[in-house]
Amino acid sequence: MSEHVCGLRVGQNVPEFKLETFEPSKGDFGEVSLAGLKAAKKWTVLFFYPADFTFV
Amino acid sequence: MHLAWQRDEKMLEKVRFPMGSDPTGNLSRMFGVYDESTGLDLRGTFIISPQGVVMNAEVNFYNLGRSIDEILRKVTANIHLAANPVEACPAQWKKIGDITLKPSAKMVGKVAEAMKK
Repeated sequence: MSEHVCGLRVGQNVPEFKLETFEPSKGDFGEVSLAGLKAAKKWTVLFFYPADFTFV
Repeated sequence: MHLAWQRDEKMLEKVRFPMGSDPTGNLSRMFGVYDESTGLDLRGTFIISPQGVVMNAEVNFYNLGRSIDEILRKVTANIHLAANPVEACPAQWKKIGDITLKPSAKMVGKVAEAMKK
């Protein structure tokens, strides 16, 4: 496995990001941004996985 | 793709959280979970505070799934600790109401006693 380019560590600030999303609760596409999550004062669990149709 | 998966997979029919896509891999690179050799993400889980700070990081290899109970435990602990900054959740802390510690000079070498309160 090749080396990782970089990696945020615990205690560091996350740089702003924005993702296009599918929103199962609405059955529609949407968008999530760090700025939006901060504005809503939400805790976030960011959950990466290798591919759709696999286990998590 | 996410839409098809969520509608097809019965285990996902109750999913309500947003399913994001990171087609460039930029976000997964930022969190250090992108495997350049395979083009896939490792199973990384990160808890981010409302202030945008990484509070927990856990990365599993492809072949090991995660414990949702453990993730919920960490989120619950983080929310409690954010509201009670002088406390700490010790090993085996599971839920609100379990004993927390208030680390101080007095507790050095006395953790066992503090856990019995």
